[in-house]
Amino acid sequence: MTTSDSDALAALCQFARLASHADLVMAVEVDAGGRATWAVAAPALPSSSFNLARSGLFEHTWSGEAVEATGFRLPSAIIHALEGLPTHLLYVPAPSHAAPLSGLLLLWRSAPAPATLTAQVPLLATSVARLLSARREAARGAIVRNQFLDLFESVPAGIVLIDGDGVGAAVNEHAAELLGCAAGNHRAADVAGPMRALRQRCDNHADLALAYSAQMNNDQFAAKQNWTLGERTFEVDTHPVRGNGAHGRIWLFTDVTADLLMAAELRRLASSDPLTGVPNRRHFEESSAQIIAAREANGRAVAVLMVDVDHFKKINDTYGHPVGDEVLKVVARRCRDALRGRDLFARFGGEEFIALLAASTVDEIPAAAERLRSAVAAEPILVDGERIAVSVSVGGAIGEALPGGDRKLLEALISRADEALYEAKTSGRNRVRMAALQPDLVVP
Amino acid sequence: MESFERFNGRRSGEGKTVAILSHGFGTDQTAWNALRPWFEARFDVISFDLAGCGPQGAQTYDFERHGSLFGYADDLIDILDELDVRECTYIGHSMSGMIGAAAAVARPDLFERLVIIGASPRYLDDDGYTGGFRPQDLDQLFDSMRANYQAWIAGFAPMVVGVEDSAVVADFSNTLFQMRPDIALNTSRTIFTSDLRSLAARVSRPVHLIQTAHDVAVPVAVGHWLANAIEGATLDVIDASGHLPHMTAPDDVMRILEQRLAGTAL
Repeated sequence: MTTSDSDALAALCQFARLASHADLVMAVEVDAGGRATWAVAAPALPSSSFNLARSGLFEHTWSGEAVEATGFRLPSAIIHALEGLPTHLLYVPAPSHAAPLSGLLLLWRSAPAPATLTAQVPLLATSVARLLSARREAARGAIVRNQFLDLFESVPAGIVLIDGDGVGAAVNEHAAELLGCAAGNHRAADVAGPMRALRQRCDNHADLALAYSAQMNNDQFAAKQNWTLGERTFEVDTHPVRGNGAHGRIWLFTDVTADLLMAAELRRLASSDPLTGVPNRRHFEESSAQIIAAREANGRAVAVLMVDVDHFKKINDTYGHPVGDEVLKVVARRCRDALRGRDLFARFGGEEFIALLAASTVDEIPAAAERLRSAVAAEPILVDGERIAVSVSVGGAIGEALPGGDRKLLEALISRADEALYEAKTSGRNRVRMAALQPDLVVP
Repeated sequence: MESFERFNGRRSGEGKTVAILSHGFGTDQTAWNALRPWFEARFDVISFDLAGCGPQGAQTYDFERHGSLFGYADDLIDILDELDVRECTYIGHSMSGMIGAAAAVARPDLFERLVIIGASPRYLDDDGYTGGFRPQDLDQLFDSMRANYQAWIAGFAPMVVGVEDSAVVADFSNTLFQMRPDIALNTSRTIFTSDLRSLAARVSRPVHLIQTAHDVAVPVAVGHWLANAIEGATLDVIDASGHLPHMTAPDDVMRILEQRLAGTAL
């Protein structure tokens, strides 16, 4: 495009030169400051970067007639191209886009003959202005394209850009690597296959197929989905270019594997007890609500067991806190091992632990509590060569999960299990006490 | 006055006739220190720093405008017009030789005569023309400038000075160091790739050419070529080495000036 517009301007200069018998004709793009930003001439100029601000061309009122060159200051490059000094000159203003002082400059080394077509030259002003604007626009477009291409390949994401007409597609290096195709321009139809294949290789391909199929014929849709490929996860963002599907569609593939691992690790750190590694109280409260909610659906029983290490203060006083910490770790591990995988077990605070059990029958609960107690008391705990006999007291409470009652139910169960624990403690420790079944918590 | 100030202009001297001192690549107007007193005694002396040179070089250089020597010629004409200098004796070294020639072709009225020291209209060899450089020489020059400008100066400065004169080598190195490397590279590209041979025949003012017998940048053949091409030009070849005779052999240059400019100044 740039070539054709500048070629047309060069041809136009040549034509004007023949028509006017001028020795030099140039089309020059001049910004508001008088600075020439581009020029073409017949014959050719040695340089087109000069300033015409003080040339006198813009102060003169041009009526389409050549005037004497005396008093005009022309850049040395123009004089060089003219191969001599001008006696007459004519400027035809042709304000072009972003260059209001642009125009056509004609120079004569001797007085122009009167019979020439010079009078017709000003008619070319519109064409010159239009061609200068078009050339500038095309040159600007080329710059923007280069900047875009640089950006396209510099970003760490994979990018697939589908043209607005849906025919062409551009694939950057990162996306090409992911899709197993070559980077560069393709027919959109040829990129669709590799993209579909990639999606079908995903572990969550069924979910993805469902999510995208609903948008099959919607060219305005925007979505962010995680595509899981084994250990790697890509966040795939697709949206219409600048909010309009008619401009095309962009697919951005960002590898979020490291972000997700980091987030999971942070969540784990935030939800677990740093000493024993079992979930902390906060996690217990969040997860128990989910477990109870799940039970609500079929009205099954849940139970809370409060577990407290017997004479823990004495262990600390006798062996010191580091040993007390080791004891807590072992107690937590023995309890955890004694429970089923689906049971929730957490450190509730100090030497107190809590378990939430989902049971199919009410009878299972006391047996589970007993397993827990005996698992701790079965053998002494070995710390730094010391054999320390440790036991726990367990208080339990059973309730039935009813729709909408999870928060209230948990509070009630904890409170009643606490009371049962107190009973277990006062009646000699190292034993299990279950709170009596209450009609308001269990539907018979 | 705006260009004169921007290009760090300096005006001094006892004479009535204006002499313009325009330095060459890699130096600034301090290059004229040795000759300046001679001019001051006879002329109204005006000097300045070329675009890209001198302490303000980075502010005066325009990569577009100064991508050709015509941009510098326009700067020179701007200064003369601003100072309302109607006629001058122009003394230009190296790149300023052809800058002066271009300005004198565009505005012959401004120039009474030109003294051109160590100038070349084309550095590359051509059919029937010895410029002294082959394309690969220039590529190598630009590559080493780009790779390490400081290291390049260390080799370039003594070679261009051409004689054992540590003070001049130091001065030349300092003014080269003063240039921003990207500007220095672009300037040297502009100079070494220029071809202003067609300009020579159009210079209508008296020209006195001076050069040394052994100049790494300008073979003696170039001096003869210019003397031939410019009608009525004189050529004085100093039997010495170096591209900067106004700095390394000022007495020889003065002797030539005494002879060539006799009668031009009061």
